[in-house]
Amino acid sequence: MRPRLVKSQREMEGRFEDVWVLVDEDDDLETWAEGAELDVVGKPATRDDGLLRTSGAARYTVDIALPGMLHAQVLRAPVARCRVTGLDLEAARATPGVRAVLGPDGPFTMRGDAVLTAEPGWAGAPIAAVAADTPEAAAAGIAALSPELEALAPLELEAGLEEQRFTEEPRETVRGDPDGALDGAEVKVELTCETPAHVQTPLEPHAAVARWDGDSLTAWVSTQGMFDARRELAGRFGLGNEQVRVISEYIGGGFGAKQGAGVEALLAAELARAAGRPVHLALGRHEEQLVGGRRAWTRQTVTIGARRDGTLVGIEVAAVVAMGAAGWIFPVGEPALSLYACPNVRAMIFPVKTSLRAQNAFRAPGVVEGVTVLEQAMDELALALEMDPLELRRTNHIELDQGSGLPYSSKRLLACYDRAAELAGWAERDGLREASSDRLLRGMGCATQIWWGGGGPPAHATVRLDAQARALVTTGIQDIGTGTLTSARIVAAEELGLPLDRVVARGGDTAPNLYGPVAGGSMTTPAVMPAVRSAAGSVRRTLLSLAADVLEIAAADLTISGGRIRSRDGGLDVDVIEVTGKLGNATIDGSGARGPNPEGFRVNTFGCQIAQVAVDPGTGVVTVERVVAVHDVGRIVNPLAASSQAEGGVIQGIGYALCEELLTDPTTGIPVNGHLDDYKVPTIADVPEIVVDFVDVPDANLPNLGSKGLGEPPIVPTAAAIANAFAHATGRRAGALPLTPARVLEALA
Amino acid sequence: MSGYARPSSLDEALSLLDGDGAAPLGGGTDLAGQLDRGITSPTLLVDLRDAGLGAIEERDGGLRIGATVTLAELAASPLVAGYAAVGAAASLAASPLLRNVGTVAGNLCQHTRCWYYRGAEWHCWLGGGDTCFAQVGDHRKHGLQPGDCISAHPSDLAPALAVSGATVETRSGRGTRELPLLELYRRPSADNRSLLTLEPGELVVAVLLPPPPDASAYERLGERAAFSFPLVAIAAARRGDEVRLVAGGVANVPCELDPSDPLAGLPGNPQSAWKRSALATLAERALHRVQHR
Repeated sequence: MRPRLVKSQREMEGRFEDVWVLVDEDDDLETWAEGAELDVVGKPATRDDGLLRTSGAARYTVDIALPGMLHAQVLRAPVARCRVTGLDLEAARATPGVRAVLGPDGPFTMRGDAVLTAEPGWAGAPIAAVAADTPEAAAAGIAALSPELEALAPLELEAGLEEQRFTEEPRETVRGDPDGALDGAEVKVELTCETPAHVQTPLEPHAAVARWDGDSLTAWVSTQGMFDARRELAGRFGLGNEQVRVISEYIGGGFGAKQGAGVEALLAAELARAAGRPVHLALGRHEEQLVGGRRAWTRQTVTIGARRDGTLVGIEVAAVVAMGAAGWIFPVGEPALSLYACPNVRAMIFPVKTSLRAQNAFRAPGVVEGVTVLEQAMDELALALEMDPLELRRTNHIELDQGSGLPYSSKRLLACYDRAAELAGWAERDGLREASSDRLLRGMGCATQIWWGGGGPPAHATVRLDAQARALVTTGIQDIGTGTLTSARIVAAEELGLPLDRVVARGGDTAPNLYGPVAGGSMTTPAVMPAVRSAAGSVRRTLLSLAADVLEIAAADLTISGGRIRSRDGGLDVDVIEVTGKLGNATIDGSGARGPNPEGFRVNTFGCQIAQVAVDPGTGVVTVERVVAVHDVGRIVNPLAASSQAEGGVIQGIGYALCEELLTDPTTGIPVNGHLDDYKVPTIADVPEIVVDFVDVPDANLPNLGSKGLGEPPIVPTAAAIANAFAHATGRRAGALPLTPARVLEALA
Repeated sequence: MSGYARPSSLDEALSLLDGDGAAPLGGGTDLAGQLDRGITSPTLLVDLRDAGLGAIEERDGGLRIGATVTLAELAASPLVAGYAAVGAAASLAASPLLRNVGTVAGNLCQHTRCWYYRGAEWHCWLGGGDTCFAQVGDHRKHGLQPGDCISAHPSDLAPALAVSGATVETRSGRGTRELPLLELYRRPSADNRSLLTLEPGELVVAVLLPPPPDASAYERLGERAAFSFPLVAIAAARRGDEVRLVAGGVANVPCELDPSDPLAGLPGNPQSAWKRSALATLAERALHRVQHR
């Protein structure tokens, strides 16, 4: 290995950052070319943990039980805003079974914000925490705190907009002359639509278990970012990285809501330190729905101007975002800036401070919201132009990123349009609107997907091959349910020339100190898999060199595939064990790193979805009958996992379009439906036929694999496609999503 | 923490239920949620599984349905075939898992799903407080009938059984009563917020159905394709020329509607106006189904 440090750029959900990257000059693996004959990559493989997860054998953080473990509970603000004027910490400490109590005056901050607060700004904000022998004793300790509260009026959205009460300065991004372009446009449409507050609702709630062994901390955390959790815990407690071990072996979903250590791990670790015993802290379902996070409610007004031939001349989007207490401002304006060729664009975001938890990431944050409204406005434009909606989108296709002026590393969106149209029967869509005997109104709508998802360095992996010719891949992956560890096996098996069943992959533990990025920004596959292949390539080179020693044939004349070593002249064909068997107790070890991203390109993912809906005009029920999802994410590593990922995104998008919305009581500012009985996620009965396809052509500009991420893309266009299908079916648009019976009947009235 | 008892006879159950703070436990699908959110805190849960209330029997050309018959058993029973509305309601309520444990009497006696009533953050009028938060807050899913409480009754079975002519048999230490199903319910008043006419210690032991109607139908509107309480539930039944219509989800108790003017007495308000349209549609569809067979 010849290590070098080079400068590169890292991207996370559209935010770019310069980083130094450790690379190996000896690592010269070329990207598997389009059409390359591969044995394992691109073949459907069931995920390793499927049976464990479905049978209940997988041990999630909430399932961890340690000897002497205490149970923690959190006192939360029962109103949207208040001041805590009294808190009986001593009574809580005196409660039988209570072993540790933390109040809001402690030294507790996370990223500069107080974890426990005496001035809660939202219902559910944590005020104090108690650890006790049993959950019941912890509840008694919480009750003994007897908080005295001075309630304050909740911060209301419309008043906040009026008073310009923002979490930070409104954002405005301008390109060209949008005012002039819109004023002079031959055709202009304007559309306003509200998008709902959407709760991630992971099956496993936020949870952490912390155990101290002397000065070392072990934390089981249900998180998407175990290395971020390690950094935060080490920073909070003044520890070295080697003194903190974070374990995230099985995670019951995250969808963006589970970042870093979270309040739960920080509290569990502090309570465990105070009590001298391990502490378990898991949110209940109501807590999860209330404080786990959400995609923020928005109200967007989109104006589009075009020439008669459909060429866009100007776009303006003004987005009001109900941020809650704070939070990242997600790129709601990005679709207007980059989805279509348009020289004149203005994107404005008004981040209003309200009395809810800070908004946080939820699967393609910002872009889902932006696409959901922009793509409805595009269909209104198509209607005004009497143009086919897909044709309008093709007309405004663009090959470069207009913000940076850089070309995309690869973009096969036009192929997505063609394939989706073919699979959906787009050409016959107007026939759906003919009267049917079942009284239902049918329609079909499309929408375009854009997202990042190119990943980037740093990510590291090792591969260890033993005498039995079994390979262990070690990664920094925390598999949040997407099957990425199985992908790591696939990539390693391909490069090593071994059958899949001879390769195992591990992740979910920071102890090996092999860094992997947060499972977010659709970056696990594009960041980690090249490092896995690089490590496997190193092992393969060593194995061939050892084979040359054993078989007395030059390494350059040997190949490995399917677990067999063959000479290029066909004279030799032996099991790999013929060579590895000579290792005895030694192993062949290789390490690999993710190389830098290509310079001079923007790496994005693209796709098109087409939805068919049936609307009952008497009851307002919208049924999604079929969704076609075609995406371009470069090379597909595991088609089975990729289809699952697309189906999951579509189903979550159906929830966003039809039934999911966190509603806040207008008078008290408290969410009214923070429970699963009245916050409606789709059930299997709501799931239509979902037809998934991929362009599946590697991005030749990406290091060694040509794959991009798929975690987020499939949710991006679903709600827009459904809303457009609804408009096609009924000729109406609802001013807000989701399309509940109430909204539909109001729109049809 | 509640105590727990599992009596092996109805008499034993009734004597346990006669005490203060005792609550009957059927499938527990509603009670567990109430306990979880502190809506009720009984000192003793009286499990009725062994109290001999689990049979569906033919009687006088009709049926006697025990209180602890589950929704799944009711939906699957061949004896219910003549009562189309009842079978449909039993099979459309909740989810398969809940129908496997939820009971007939539990479904009839369940509390409203109004989120202000259910939410621990509010102490609403129906729960003994001063304010019906729904009337000043978000009430797009609430009832159409004006009053001190505008919650909506969530039972699928109540309209279907009522329209089929069901009566309810109750027992208590003071004896046995039989009352028309709709008389199991009362509109709450300032001095009595209960939605049920049951006396303390009085238990629903069976639902009695007369011989099947000539035709019956059940229509409901949910918030998703399955596993949703009805936003509007309508049952219609016809015996000869007499047609009845009973609705759930539109008032705080199930209510009889005038088939010729189903919206009468249900003015709603701007937030719930949509519900009147849905109610009119479902009423028309249910009536159509019973009048054309």
